[in-house]
Amino acid sequence: MDLPGPIHDFLLVFLGSGLILGGLGVVLLTNPIYSTFSLGLVLVCISLFYILSNSHFVVAAQLLIYVGAINVVILFAVMFINGSEYYKDFNLLTIGMALLRWFVQIIWTTRSNQIIEQDLISNSQQIGIHLATDFFLPFEFISIILLVALIGAIAVARQ
Amino acid sequence: MMLEHVLVLSAYLFFTDIYGLITSRNMVRALMCLELILNAVNINFVTFYDLFDSRQLEGNIFSIFAIVIVAAEASIGSAIVSLIYRKKKSTCINQSTFLTK
Repeated sequence: MDLPGPIHDFLLVFLGSGLILGGLGVVLLTNPIYSTFSLGLVLVCISLFYILSNSHFVVAAQLLIYVGAINVVILFAVMFINGSEYYKDFNLLTIGMALLRWFVQIIWTTRSNQIIEQDLISNSQQIGIHLATDFFLPFEFISIILLVALIGAIAVARQ
Repeated sequence: MMLEHVLVLSAYLFFTDIYGLITSRNMVRALMCLELILNAVNINFVTFYDLFDSRQLEGNIFSIFAIVIVAAEASIGSAIVSLIYRKKKSTCINQSTFLTK
């Protein structure tokens, strides 16, 4: 989006804080239904962030597929199933510290340059053009993969 | 400046969900953290599309393919989780030892 600088930054900070809190909520909340709702919050924050990044088709796809389908499927699975504890066998804190150290190392060793360009056709039209011409074969394969996955899921869950 | 902040955000999400995936005892929480890992990768794709890509737009197409694949994987994953729960009546990850012995 072509928002002025401070508004863009404010929205980014707002969505970023929602993302951070939601991510912590998914991992740390003990009730699995609360963590499922926190997952929904993170997915909605991500799709709002995609609006800021000029990719409107991915916003719609993310909302429909992730929040509308995957989150609901995970909610069904959570309601089937009881029990939510953490491992007592090994130390959670050492794993957290190791991952934190790895995270900091990755952040400190990357550089960035910025090149910004403008588009003339809208986002959905560009995606349609590419799906119909350059990426037609992956598109067909994706449909077959979805078909096989759905049939497989039904066949597995039927027993 | 904006690029670095967004990449740090997606890296934070990635690492938090790797932590949740490794240390969760509940199978459904592991599935949720897996979805968030793949979402963090999608954030990277879309950010690089926004700041670096020209009219050729290959990053955005790949993020759509990634969303679709993750949808297929989530449906199969939850079917497998419910089947395991039906067989074993418990969702502890370290009790799913069907393949040993």
